Amino acid sequence: MFWRLVAQLLRGSRGRLAVAIIAIVSGAAVISALLNLDLGVQNKLTQEFRTLGANIVISPAGDAPAQSSSPDVPTLMPADDVLQTLRQLPPAQVTAAAPYLYIVARSQNIPVVVAGTWLDQAQKLDATWKLDGNWVASREDDSHCLVGHNVARRLHLAPGNALELHYLDRGVQCSVAGIVDAGDSEDNQIFASLRAVQSLANLPGQISLAQVSVAGTAPVVAGYATHLATVLPQFQVRPIRQVAEAEGALLGRIRLLIISMVLLILILTALCVLATMAALAMERRKDVGLMKSLGGSISRIVGIFLAEVGVLGAAGGLLGAVLGAGLSYWMGLRVFGTAIAPRWEVLPATVALMVVVALTGALPLRMLGNVKPAQILRGE
Amino acid sequence: MFARLLGESFARNPRRKLLTAAALVIGMAVATATLTIALEVGDRLAREFRSLGANLLVTPESDTLPVEIGGVDYRPVDEGAYLNEADLGKLKTIFWRHNVLGFTPFLDVPAYVLETGGSTTLIGTWYQHEVPVPDGTKFQTGASATHPWWKVSGTWFRDDSDECVVGSTLAEKYPAAFVLGKTIRLAADRLSGGGRSLRVTGIISTGGAEDNAVLVPLSVAQGISGHPGKFRQLFVSALTKPADALAERGERAQTDKNLQLTPTEYDRWFCSPYISSIGFQIRTVLPGTEVHAIRRVAETEGRILTRVGTLLWIVTLAALGAAVLAVAATSATTVLERRAEIGVMKALGASNALVGGIFLAEQVLLAIAGGAIGFFLGAGLARFLGESVFGTPASPRLILFPVVLALAATIAMIGSLVPLRRAAHFRPAVILRGE
Repeated sequence: MFWRLVAQLLRGSRGRLAVAIIAIVSGAAVISALLNLDLGVQNKLTQEFRTLGANIVISPAGDAPAQSSSPDVPTLMPADDVLQTLRQLPPAQVTAAAPYLYIVARSQNIPVVVAGTWLDQAQKLDATWKLDGNWVASREDDSHCLVGHNVARRLHLAPGNALELHYLDRGVQCSVAGIVDAGDSEDNQIFASLRAVQSLANLPGQISLAQVSVAGTAPVVAGYATHLATVLPQFQVRPIRQVAEAEGALLGRIRLLIISMVLLILILTALCVLATMAALAMERRKDVGLMKSLGGSISRIVGIFLAEVGVLGAAGGLLGAVLGAGLSYWMGLRVFGTAIAPRWEVLPATVALMVVVALTGALPLRMLGNVKPAQILRGE
Repeated sequence: MFARLLGESFARNPRRKLLTAAALVIGMAVATATLTIALEVGDRLAREFRSLGANLLVTPESDTLPVEIGGVDYRPVDEGAYLNEADLGKLKTIFWRHNVLGFTPFLDVPAYVLETGGSTTLIGTWYQHEVPVPDGTKFQTGASATHPWWKVSGTWFRDDSDECVVGSTLAEKYPAAFVLGKTIRLAADRLSGGGRSLRVTGIISTGGAEDNAVLVPLSVAQGISGHPGKFRQLFVSALTKPADALAERGERAQTDKNLQLTPTEYDRWFCSPYISSIGFQIRTVLPGTEVHAIRRVAETEGRILTRVGTLLWIVTLAALGAAVLAVAATSATTVLERRAEIGVMKALGASNALVGGIFLAEQVLLAIAGGAIGFFLGAGLARFLGESVFGTPASPRLILFPVVLALAATIAMIGSLVPLRRAAHFRPAVILRGE
């Protein structure tokens, strides 16, 4: 009987209900889209910050004995432990990692900095590099190298040319795979495979430093650095402060901005639904009068109307939440180029919010207790 | 008569108008606040991004290849070209001078520390230095502006004194030699003897190559290397606009002879604070230099700015949509509630046009009052938001006032049009019977 009445009520006044449904669905859609967006945006922006390059550097510890007092060869460290750890890093968290050995070699009798590294990591570690030519696909490839564009201009190199490097009395030859335009000091360097540079400098198993790019917010990165420091106690592990600090502060501000805007919209949407539901409740006064005169108890009558409103809120909220998930998916594609996956927790949150708002909007129904059936039926 | 009806309607039942008015005020306040923030956020965020430090690097042209590892130049001092410190004031004379937030010259010199008996790198720079600008004013700048993430325990050196700041790794290595407040002696090389006495005022930790060096005032490094008034690298921090197609064409036109910008395009490029146009302007005042955008910083900044900008506009649109929805819903409700009134008017012979006119006039009056109050509330809200997010309040934009009023009037009218059109079909008798 109760639910039949509710169903009858819902079927009876289609026009007015349509307005309420539209208000609830669009409100729920906006809210769920923005909640999804807000939860996804941090993730996306953190990824954007990774184009700043590596955020953790592993270098020889400060108290290591200075191996050379000449600045030509900076302090070195044995590579094995570090490389072992780098290889075992979980790929989900670590975007890229590579060791570096820097030496000053000569090419065409001009001194030039040569960096021995894992060339396959270069593209991921330095996402803003512009490359003319090809990347080197394998870190085992000793015959190819990448050349900074200042070096290339000075030595008149183009992709495909052969390049000879000399260090003391040793020499090595590689073919230029690509010219790097980094807009930074890398433009003055040559990048070759770690093994080739180690054998050229006769420094087997030695590296100058290792760079790691870890995904995640500044605290996550700092935590990761601490973890690495415990695994590698004999080295100095530090987050690159330029990246960490700026990223933390900027992300905080951007999120705060979006959250405050989303809150404003939430309030506005709730208000809109509230107004519609209040109007609907007022419309119902006549029905109440009729029910009361037929002997219905006021609590039962109010119960029926609250059930009606609750069903409306739940149905509208569900539909809206699904629409909103689609909306945030599209926004993610539009803004970040990759979709924002809808979060499951947003769906129940949106539905619950809509039911609560709809019920709040029906609060004027409480006043129905004072309704005198005769007055209402007379149309006053 | 029309005006009297309107006045009566407001006077008789002010509570009815309250709901519509409240929705209008809140809706317009949110619209104003989000629009104000969205208009301002690009500038604000761009300024925030300067915490990433410099985004332009100026080096001498036709220089020998820098032999630089981890930011420290290993070239002999007498090799390579230098730039003149005296020219630096000209940076504040370019077209986009106000966008140049700071610049710092660097001169790296190998030196010998008598206390440790080892050689190290001296980095000559400014911390906070007053640069005379050709127009007679002074501009204070230095590493504090271009390298804001450098942290010093102790104090920075003063730019005109014999003081120095020691890198943290170096200080750890020789704890006995580098003590705060003590003096160290530096010479150009082992043989020259004597040396210059510098007081250690702080330990610096940058997370970069500076941790392994000694930072000294630029004039000290110039003195030790014997190159007075010279420097080798200049880092510039400039407020820029994210690069777009025009910025890229402008950049390419600098090197590519085949690509020519039309005069209009050139003007637009020159007069936009793109990183390429600011770089071009710096090169014109500092001839004989090469200006590179530090792409890592510039590209990340540009991309995030563009994305956050788009995002905020979407959120602003959503806020506007929600405001429209709220106002339209309440307007519709008001008209529906007053069906009985409409019935009486029509029964007394009022035409549809008159009824519609009275209701629309009411809504527009409400919208203008509500929109005005909402605008000022929203301006306050934007101020508060700007203060809490960026630390400085967002200034109200008066240009938004007419926009918000027009918006309020339009949506209030649209919101009541649909129910009014339905009201036109009401049959007075049916309504008055209360059906």
